[in-house]
Amino acid sequence: MDAKRDAGVELHTKKVLESAGWIFQLISGLILALLVTFHFFETHLVSHSAMDYENVVARLTDIPHKVMYAVLLLSVSFHAFNGLRAILLDTNFGAENTRSVNIILFFAVFVAFAYGLLLLIEF
Amino acid sequence: MEEMEVIFRIKRFDGEREYWSNFVIPAKKGMTVLEGLFYVKENYDSSLAFRASCRMGICGSCAIKINGKPKLACETQILHLNSNKIKVEPLDNFKVIKDLITEFEGFFVKHSRVKPYLIRKEDNYAEPVELIQKPSQLSKYYDYSLCIKCGACYSVCPASSSRDDYLGPAAMASAYRFIADSRDEGYKERMEIVCGDCGVWRCHFAGECSEVCPKGVEPAKAIQKLRFKSALYMLRKLFMG
Amino acid sequence: MWLKWFDFRKKSLFHISYSLHRLTGVVLAVYLVMHLSYLTSLRLGRGVYEYFISTTLTPAFLGFDILLVLAGVYHGVNGIRLILHEFGIAYELRRPILYLCYVVVLVVWLYASYVLYSYVMGV
Repeated sequence: MDAKRDAGVELHTKKVLESAGWIFQLISGLILALLVTFHFFETHLVSHSAMDYENVVARLTDIPHKVMYAVLLLSVSFHAFNGLRAILLDTNFGAENTRSVNIILFFAVFVAFAYGLLLLIEF
Repeated sequence: MEEMEVIFRIKRFDGEREYWSNFVIPAKKGMTVLEGLFYVKENYDSSLAFRASCRMGICGSCAIKINGKPKLACETQILHLNSNKIKVEPLDNFKVIKDLITEFEGFFVKHSRVKPYLIRKEDNYAEPVELIQKPSQLSKYYDYSLCIKCGACYSVCPASSSRDDYLGPAAMASAYRFIADSRDEGYKERMEIVCGDCGVWRCHFAGECSEVCPKGVEPAKAIQKLRFKSALYMLRKLFMG
Repeated sequence: MWLKWFDFRKKSLFHISYSLHRLTGVVLAVYLVMHLSYLTSLRLGRGVYEYFISTTLTPAFLGFDILLVLAGVYHGVNGIRLILHEFGIAYELRRPILYLCYVVVLVVWLYASYVLYSYVMGV
């Protein structure tokens, strides 16, 4: 076992990260429960032509939709990769490589969000 | 049913290899699994190793897996299991020393890490004073004080099975027991411990610990309350220093 | 060792729910990456997008889509249950809430599957 961990010495930032991570995981979960339901409703229930190219582009160019998609994208990117981070940190591998796991997965959040944002910006 | 022959299928370990042994026990009404193990030891195989002490569900020594679920052997009646084949194994997530005896040192070390004693800023043993506590204050933590450290919760915890340094449900329930105690003044010290990487953040409410606790301690409930307190504590620390 | 999360032999429905929550989370995280890549087709032009749509919005993929919806609905509904309990709310009612959760998942999933089926089959 790591002596530092045994002595109870940990970086302040890491502890706050965990609290903030947990709270945002719950908040993003609630946001997703609403927005994913709305997204599914909009793409499958409103009309059969909702997935046609023109209609998809129309939604992407519409400002309120853009904002909704940006919020959805940020929430889902954070929620998914923070969840994976929690799964990895629950293992001995994660315990020994906590810093790397945190950095890689938060980078993944950023990449997923940026990649999706590119699409929103393009339209 | 007053009497029945049951087969005890016991997982054995002699330090090198694992194997199973079967024994026929004449189970009578009221006979516990612990009595069955003593019957095996006295009549079949004296080398069978298991822990037991009080025989009345208060010491926590005899916690083992019975038909796949951790239970106290002294409190589990054979005929109540409704099966003529009883599978007996050591607790999961603990290193097996011999047969049903597991290594509890790590479990107790983790428990001691949360400082499971009243912390007072000033201790004057020469002139002790009574620490007044109302029944309503006692009820806030009483259930969590019933823990007998049997290890059943730890053995079913999925976080404990995948991460060795996770404090575990028993230690964290104990931490909450003292945090919720109005007489305790060690809030900050304990929060620093449970807010760590191997504390509350490894729990994701599988809830199995509360299901198997033989004393109804509800460690899952304690951990959820502890986690909420931890989040508030850390955020307050971040914004208010 | 980490596979013990998914060992729900002789475990209660609470543990099974936890294991399923983790499993559906991983499935949805993988789907997120797939979905973001899929959306790239919009940037590549109408032709590419319509090719993807015509390939995936078909009866052949319907089974996969229905299972995905089950994963999403389960993760969402169970997630709301977890949010409730992780804030210490209604812990004493955890058993009836768990059963209610499964009923809600079943009802919502059956409805969503019906919507998906109607959409894909053009009913």
